[in-house]
Amino acid sequence: MNAHVSTRTGKLEYFSYDDQIVRLFVIATVIWGAVALLLGVTIAFQLADWHVNLGLQWTTFGRLRPLHTNAAIFAFCGNAIFAGIYYSHQRLLKARLFNDTLSKIHFWGWQLIIVAAALTLPFGITTGKEYAELEWPIDIAITVIWVVFAVNFFGTIIRRRERHIYVAIWFYIATIITVAVLHIINSLEIPVSIGKSYSLYAGVQDALVQWWYGHNAVAFFLTTPFLGLMYYYVPKAANRPVYSYRLSIIHFWSLVFIYIWAGPHHLLYTTLPEWAQTLGMVFSVALWAPSWGGMINGLLTLRGVWDKVRTDPVLKFMALALTFYGMSTFEGPLLSIKSVNSIAHFTDWIPGHVHAGTIGWNYLLTAGVLYFLVPRLWNAEIYSKRLATIQFWTATIGIILYIVSMWIAGISQSLMWRAIDASGKLVYPNFIESVVKIVPMYWVRAIGGTFVLVSFVIMIYNLYKTAKSGSVGKEEVYEAYALDDSSIEQGAAPHRKLEGWPMIFAVLSLVAILVGTAIEIVPAVLSKQYITKLDVVKPYTPLELLGRDIYIREGCYLCHSQTVRPMAHEVLRYGKASEAAEFVYDHPFQWGSKRTGPDLARVGGKYPNMWHYRHMWDPREVTAGSIMPRYTWLFDQKTDYGSLPKKMQVMQTLGVPYSQAEIDASVANAQAQAQSIRDNLVEAGVPEKVLDKEIIPLIAYLQRIGVDYGKSEVQQ
Amino acid sequence: MKQETKLHVEENEKHLLLDHNYDGIQELNHPLPSWWSATFYGGIIFAICYFTYYQLMGGPTLRDEFKKDYAVIAAAQAEFKKQESAFNPEVFAKFNTPDGIKKGEEVFTNNCVACHLEKGKGDIGPNLTDEYWLWAKGTPETIYPVVFNGVVENGMPNWSEVLSRDEIYQVVAYVQTLHLTHQAGGKAPQGNKVE
Repeated sequence: MNAHVSTRTGKLEYFSYDDQIVRLFVIATVIWGAVALLLGVTIAFQLADWHVNLGLQWTTFGRLRPLHTNAAIFAFCGNAIFAGIYYSHQRLLKARLFNDTLSKIHFWGWQLIIVAAALTLPFGITTGKEYAELEWPIDIAITVIWVVFAVNFFGTIIRRRERHIYVAIWFYIATIITVAVLHIINSLEIPVSIGKSYSLYAGVQDALVQWWYGHNAVAFFLTTPFLGLMYYYVPKAANRPVYSYRLSIIHFWSLVFIYIWAGPHHLLYTTLPEWAQTLGMVFSVALWAPSWGGMINGLLTLRGVWDKVRTDPVLKFMALALTFYGMSTFEGPLLSIKSVNSIAHFTDWIPGHVHAGTIGWNYLLTAGVLYFLVPRLWNAEIYSKRLATIQFWTATIGIILYIVSMWIAGISQSLMWRAIDASGKLVYPNFIESVVKIVPMYWVRAIGGTFVLVSFVIMIYNLYKTAKSGSVGKEEVYEAYALDDSSIEQGAAPHRKLEGWPMIFAVLSLVAILVGTAIEIVPAVLSKQYITKLDVVKPYTPLELLGRDIYIREGCYLCHSQTVRPMAHEVLRYGKASEAAEFVYDHPFQWGSKRTGPDLARVGGKYPNMWHYRHMWDPREVTAGSIMPRYTWLFDQKTDYGSLPKKMQVMQTLGVPYSQAEIDASVANAQAQAQSIRDNLVEAGVPEKVLDKEIIPLIAYLQRIGVDYGKSEVQQ
Repeated sequence: MKQETKLHVEENEKHLLLDHNYDGIQELNHPLPSWWSATFYGGIIFAICYFTYYQLMGGPTLRDEFKKDYAVIAAAQAEFKKQESAFNPEVFAKFNTPDGIKKGEEVFTNNCVACHLEKGKGDIGPNLTDEYWLWAKGTPETIYPVVFNGVVENGMPNWSEVLSRDEIYQVVAYVQTLHLTHQAGGKAPQGNKVE
């Protein structure tokens, strides 16, 4: 059957595969998938009707949204990746996983991390960096478990009985290496306490590192591993040869090299130096063909077996997943073009785009993988192909409702935000008008999401019945020759040779991703000139610092951005365009990525204290039609003044110019500022007992945002 | 599981089949689709040209483009200010009608209620229903400049940057109807008594 194996001589070895670990990961995938989708549906309804926030701090949008994204990316997709990789990796290398104990540590460690996330995020323990919200002890645990995975993975490669590594494994290698680099660099932070840390980077630097990480989490957690899975499961299920080996080579290397540069397209029109923005944009555009290489290779592999696609759930889900992959990787470069981005950024178009990827590509591909794995792992036939078809259509309708509603919402918002009349005034000066207009679309999205959830539940039932009808047999024994010189191909082409040297391959992948990383990030991190400081911009007062931490804890940045782009309509609406120097003391930065509410970059001093007090008590008292939840606990919970000296010390370590005297007097100074805000509120009729409550520092922070530069006479 | 059936290979691609075999997966070696290669190279060429023009050859920056756009807006606003900053009794008369006052109430609800509360009872901003005034004197011609220019020190925005001419007159027409209505639960008087 295999040309090389048949001519090979030497020691014949007997081995078995560890499928038990794959089964565990499969079970974890479906459980966390359901949790992630349920959370998604919940927060979708919260945007449609604020009452769904339930009035509890642990269930508000700002705290559940990070939980949803983390669950979807790291719990659902993570477990799916591990299941898919561990099954295919062993078979592609004809070797059992390196070490059964490491496999188990990997599995249980990862589940513990997920549980830790589920326990900390609702309590507001967060770093406030999107998709990297987990605090430092969990970050360390992630690093450890990732290393365990890497050792197990590369250990298996070392023990392989197949000389050359197949394209699926190239993608797995790129994934493991890059995720490690991304996670470690972005998570550098200095702890204040067990559940609190400040990012090592500030302002523009922090934003750049964060979106280099954020975009490449999409690239190397949601794209490359799934392409790897596609390269194994599509040809296996279709029983077809892969369309083009040459295309595999070119699109793999170009994808890995180019993707890493694309992060700054999340920061177009911000105060990131423009050369970096332009690099982010042009590399995103150049990424279009490399991304599509994977889609073509997948879809064209199905040539001649499209009749099977109609009946086989595995191929059916994978074909649709590839189509959605193609769509979102077309939309991505489009959205990266500066002029298009100026319309779409901060609107609901972006969540729409993201979900075309995560639901359309990751969920559907995972469904295909699961329909492949479960019958094989439990020795059974798929329980019901009809149910799979129903799931297929339910999911499809759900995704389409989601995407189309978000397109409409995003474009409507954008048009309303930017409409200016002949006398140079905004046509819709009140942000709330654009919110009220798209609430119906939020309902459509929530219903679409519900369809997706229902489809997933159908799959769980179908897979459960499948597994139940089968049984876990004893581990089968396979035979293959050990690697020796007889497996070396004579006169192999250079890339073919490289496929026989996996460790060199891994190093080259690392180099490929480090080039873009270095060129974009090193200047930002090392150069003191990268951010010019302005004398008018002062560090936060102790009370404002406490308020900022509350702001981060409540996830305000998930709905309110904090950066005014240099665009006429934004300057009209919010005030002076932002400057890099304004953010030099912001560990972490808070520019946000979505405007569900208005931008807050210039909110300081715009309204009286009383306005903020009312707004947090019940947003609708000051803004009719607001969809923001109430933050009533801020009026009950006491301010944690005790943490201040430590917090300021850490900030000092990070380069914020606090003097020792300021640190020593921090609590007294904070209380004095609190007193003046309270006096002002009491004058306006607020009960006196608010003095030591969290609402006071939060107001202090809100009143400070963007004031130093915003009110200065510095010309822009 | 049972052994897989024979690999499905089309007649016209048999010569492209490589002898690689991984767990039964084989690879064809189709040439790259020409449209794909064109896109690939096109993307790279675009990237080089775009970067060169905008970053190396002095193409307009985003800030340059913003300044250009904003100059147009600023000119339009200056023109508006020049023409409309003075109270015009004739225009006011046009809006001082039941219909205009009703529209004014809408403008008030959307923009002013946050500080002055419904019916101008006063809250963050002063009570508009008593005989005490901080800046205006209860008449349309004195209310107009306060709305038009705002009062920076009290946090009253410059509404000429937000509202259209018609809306400003409408809301002034509405506010004058509130004068001396002495709404129940209104804020304590501020400023000077105007007889």
